[in-house]
Amino acid sequence: MEVLERLLNVTLVIATIRTTAPILLVALGGSFTTKAGIFNIGLEGQMLVGAFFAVIGTIASGSPWIGVLCGVAAALTLALIFALLVVTFKANEVVVGLALNILAGGMTVSLMKAIFGTRGSIFGHGLVGLPPLKLPNVKDLGWFGQMISGYTPLVYLAFILVPVLILFYNRARLGLYIRVVGEKPEAAEALGISITRIRYTASLLCGLLAGLAGAHLSLGYTTMFTENMSSGRGFMAVAILIFSNGDPLKILLGCLLFGFSDALSLRLQTLGISSYLVLAVPYLVALIALFALSYRSRPRVIQETLASMGRALSVKSNTIKPRTATDASKP
Amino acid sequence: MSDRFDSLFGQTLAILFALGLGALVILTVDESPARVFVTLLNGAFGSPERIAGTLLQTTPILICGIAACISFRGGLFNIGIEGQLFMGGFAATLVGFSFNLPPVLHLALAMAAAIVAGMAWIAIPAFFRARYKTNEVVSTILANYVAILLTSYLTINWFKRPGGQSETPPILESAYLPELFSFSRLNWGLIIGLVLALAVHFFFTRTARGYAVSEMGANPKFAEYGGINIGKLTFLVLIASGAVGGLAGGVEALGVHHRFMEGFAPGFGFDGVIAALLANGHPIGTIFTALFFGALRSGSLLLEVDTTASREIITVIQALIILAVSAQITIRRKASDSTAGERRWKF
Repeated sequence: MEVLERLLNVTLVIATIRTTAPILLVALGGSFTTKAGIFNIGLEGQMLVGAFFAVIGTIASGSPWIGVLCGVAAALTLALIFALLVVTFKANEVVVGLALNILAGGMTVSLMKAIFGTRGSIFGHGLVGLPPLKLPNVKDLGWFGQMISGYTPLVYLAFILVPVLILFYNRARLGLYIRVVGEKPEAAEALGISITRIRYTASLLCGLLAGLAGAHLSLGYTTMFTENMSSGRGFMAVAILIFSNGDPLKILLGCLLFGFSDALSLRLQTLGISSYLVLAVPYLVALIALFALSYRSRPRVIQETLASMGRALSVKSNTIKPRTATDASKP
Repeated sequence: MSDRFDSLFGQTLAILFALGLGALVILTVDESPARVFVTLLNGAFGSPERIAGTLLQTTPILICGIAACISFRGGLFNIGIEGQLFMGGFAATLVGFSFNLPPVLHLALAMAAAIVAGMAWIAIPAFFRARYKTNEVVSTILANYVAILLTSYLTINWFKRPGGQSETPPILESAYLPELFSFSRLNWGLIIGLVLALAVHFFFTRTARGYAVSEMGANPKFAEYGGINIGKLTFLVLIASGAVGGLAGGVEALGVHHRFMEGFAPGFGFDGVIAALLANGHPIGTIFTALFFGALRSGSLLLEVDTTASREIITVIQALIILAVSAQITIRRKASDSTAGERRWKF
């Protein structure tokens, strides 16, 4: 019982919110590409360059906000290359995404060594993080006030973006266009929507949020940059995107699960459990969730396949492609 | 034939373009590109020892590359070769130091353990990919992180060499993979890799089952109509790929390190994946791309000594090359674009 009390309390909730924010930002970014029908494995790399250039920008200018802008700009550059190769040159998205991740890893370490002469991590050098936001009048709310106040601004942004994106996909013209392009490209074409333009837009929006996620990692979550500091969060975000299908609310739930397992595993470390095992927990949670939910979605996939085959047979039009079992594998 | 020449020409042009971009990157880190390239060449091929060193680096990249080729052929992405390599290396080491057996038998058993460990590590992602179409790109990537942490945990908490840092006891000499020359740790692993490349090439071009795999990679719907059991074949292809990934770890453990330690084989699995991508999933082509990346790796060791550039600059060059040729890499599966069907695919 005492162990449970040590594990579960308000500070755990606060820790969960803290650990959820970076992965939530990057996963919400990925929802744009997922909804537009692009499988974006390059989130990891975009987040990493975002974190790195946020630190560089902050050190160069003295302002963490300029740093955030630099991080976002770097992630956008990567997103633009991704879109150029995948959308315009029709390259394989897995190949391009992986290559960009490798590029991000190599580039950040090379530049770190060239600029600071060190390998491993950057801190000091006048690096300042984003200031925590103290909400007014929270003292009266007791533990609840404690729970919602004092985070860095990008944490609030991450959670506010969830309802914003729900509205965006259901109400905004661009959001609807993105969904049409992802779900029914033929229909989008028939409606006169430029698939290319929408996919570029989605990729860049994704880069924007992935860059913010990276900036949050190096200026909010911590105040430093370490080699490969995104440590698989981009990949976990992709796992979440697969089973959430890019829906913001499901993304939030998935990210809270990860944030919680992350926060809990940090606690477990204080109980003397090997840090190697503890560090593996979030990845294991991601894997189990991925497998469990793909098992659960199986009947739906089969139904969809049957329904779409029926549609394809009755329509007898070669402009609409039948969606068969292979298409159902898409994330 | 002219088609093949065209693609070779385009590939070469793309690589030159990437090297040009790489030169620009080197300029941004305040080094002379010419000096970096000369140092890389010198480090990779400057003396017999260095050539052996290059081949030593080539070996795991080649074997991992073949593992990747097998999955690419079937239109699947095993990105978890790094994890399979770690599990294979750990299993081979475990057998290597805990049993006392006659020489050849011991080596064979340790190798078998590596292969089984690699297969076991991909079994669950493979099963879910085959049965429920769970995206194997993500599941195998996530499994990498788990494998690296798990082997570190086992090494440090259960099998640590008394008095040592984070490493296991050394394996017995009866399980050593013999060295080829006296002046280098270069070993029979290279021969295994070359034979494997030829065997896999033969399998894909000369056997019915190999043809079925290529067929599945090229056009799964068509293959299914042709009577191929896609689920079963998907599982087998991924398991075979994992087996070769595990073998790469066994070769590294039994041939080079003779023990398992933290950071056992950094990045060989990923280098293998990109070597196979650059060769467009062709096992024979992978021999050359693995040699290229092995030379880059080997050369980069001298790079750190002789210039101010870091060895990660070669990772940047590798990534640029893949980006430059990516539009020509014709692995069929595009995970979500329903217009992908028209794309050319030629393995």
